[in-house]
Amino acid sequence: MTVRLESLATCFQGLIPAQLFTCSSDGIPNAAYLSHVEYVDPEHVALSFQFFNKSRRNIAENPNALVFVPDPDTGQGWSLRLKYMRSETEGPLFDRMALRIEAIASYCGLKGIFKLRAADIYHVLSVDALPEARASESARMTQSKLDAVFTVKALQDLSARIQRADSLETLVDSILEGLEESFGFKNSYILIPTDQEGVLVTMATRGYATGSVGAEVRYGEGIGGMVAEARKPIRISGLLRGMLYALAMHKAASEPHLTRLARQIPVPGLSNPESQLGVPLLVRGELVGVLCLESEVPYRFHEEDKASIELLGGYLAIAIQNMQWQERAADSPGEAVPPANTTETVAASPNPGNVDGSNGRESHDEHELVYYGGDECILVDGEYLIRGLPAKILWRLLSIREATGREEFTNRELRLDKSLNLPEWKDNLESRLLLLRRRLEQKCPAVRLTPRCRGRFAIEVACPVTLNAQP
Amino acid sequence: MIGPELAAFLEQGVGIHIGTRNNQLHPNGARAVAAKVEASGSQLVVYVAEIAAVRLRADLESNGQAAVVFGRPEDERSCQVKGVFVDSRSATDSERPMLQKQWDGYLRQLEMIGIPRVSATNWTTWPAVAIRLKVTTIFEQTPGPQAGAQIA
Repeated sequence: MTVRLESLATCFQGLIPAQLFTCSSDGIPNAAYLSHVEYVDPEHVALSFQFFNKSRRNIAENPNALVFVPDPDTGQGWSLRLKYMRSETEGPLFDRMALRIEAIASYCGLKGIFKLRAADIYHVLSVDALPEARASESARMTQSKLDAVFTVKALQDLSARIQRADSLETLVDSILEGLEESFGFKNSYILIPTDQEGVLVTMATRGYATGSVGAEVRYGEGIGGMVAEARKPIRISGLLRGMLYALAMHKAASEPHLTRLARQIPVPGLSNPESQLGVPLLVRGELVGVLCLESEVPYRFHEEDKASIELLGGYLAIAIQNMQWQERAADSPGEAVPPANTTETVAASPNPGNVDGSNGRESHDEHELVYYGGDECILVDGEYLIRGLPAKILWRLLSIREATGREEFTNRELRLDKSLNLPEWKDNLESRLLLLRRRLEQKCPAVRLTPRCRGRFAIEVACPVTLNAQP
Repeated sequence: MIGPELAAFLEQGVGIHIGTRNNQLHPNGARAVAAKVEASGSQLVVYVAEIAAVRLRADLESNGQAAVVFGRPEDERSCQVKGVFVDSRSATDSERPMLQKQWDGYLRQLEMIGIPRVSATNWTTWPAVAIRLKVTTIFEQTPGPQAGAQIA
């Protein structure tokens, strides 16, 4: 082999179409485009097998193949002479290739339509530079300016930000801020698991229009949902090309028209993403969250970026989990806590009526909050606010406040409140309260959750609020 | 064999690659610069940079089998024309503007999917060889279950 295959890692992103040349046993050549070529090891690559096409039939008859792959950084074209070895229908390589196909299809709202039948493994017999497609140094220079720099200094900067964070809120914001300022990743968000199995929620965003906090993502949906489901990082370069490929297949398959799933809150996302990178935040196998990065640059996340972010993901996961535990530990068990569900029987009582919540604050608005018990969902003035456990918590707080006038609460009493039914272990209460606080800031700033000290907060209502409970 | 609508697609400036094979049935290939439909659609002329065409010459002269794939990056529309070698010659200066126009169209297509023109700065397109094929079959190649279906 004239060139080491591992030195061509950048060619295997599927950014520029690759070409596959084969030949039948009766001597008829075939030329086709490839969605992408997967690097396996220094002597092997894999091609995706999705349909029984002519290339696949030829390979069954004659194992010799030729593939052209371009280097997206420089424009250099490479010719790989291959020999088919075997097909894999399970295992890490198959999973990785299937995940990529699923992630792109899922982004297009086409999840489940395209299936990887097999990962076809080829032995690479030779690698040669194509003389008609030589490297452009100016292209390399342009690309290098966009490279993120995972220097020790940048990692130290991010680490220092994380060390300074004194709450879950400042921690998640510091992470996203650090990813931009130290590494140049401008668009990012963090998803965390909700109390509903298989559902994630956006907890923090950076680089997007406001209003995406609280957006829900189901496992398997989009890059964040795919990462959560697979618990593996996913990087997609040339997303637009992948989407065009997926849509072309969809159109050809004459499936019903493309529909995006209706959402109550739009998931954060660039209008024209070209590169996406999702990393699971795992601590000893437990999914703490998912970090997603996006860029409008087609080949933004390089091989080194993926490896570095993956490593960083482990560190961030521990930092987030530690902060959640620290905030939970701050709930002093000896502290006198009003027994919320024994002395204040107000939970979700129907139509508690109008609450004069002015509290002496200047106010010109009035809000109606409706809680739908069946859906565990709250609407404010007819617009979706939040659902699930954060909705139950908010309704509980407002109901207690209306019945007793009490405004200060502790995390611990929420944990003891049987009407909320928090799990005894790993309830992620602090994350839920942070999510609730941010949704209120966006959709109903007259109602605020204000931290008083660690483990204690107040609900402040700056205008009259009508509470309306519905089944 | 190649109708007007398909001819317009093939000549509009898309990705073009030609494949051949040697007598041991090992495939060879090259990127092409442009294509032109002739003889009322029964022949296809494929223009390949001279520096790349040398890889194909022996195959074309010994067995003559060729396959040409066309792909439009904008929407992944793709088709494959198979044919038998008729002859080859150097592309003439009078053909160069046509080659350049198609090549520019292809680079514009690449730009639409986010690949900067600067990546192609050192891609060689001239001098070129015109390879004439007699069209035998045409196949749909757009990704999906219909890929591989014969259309002519």
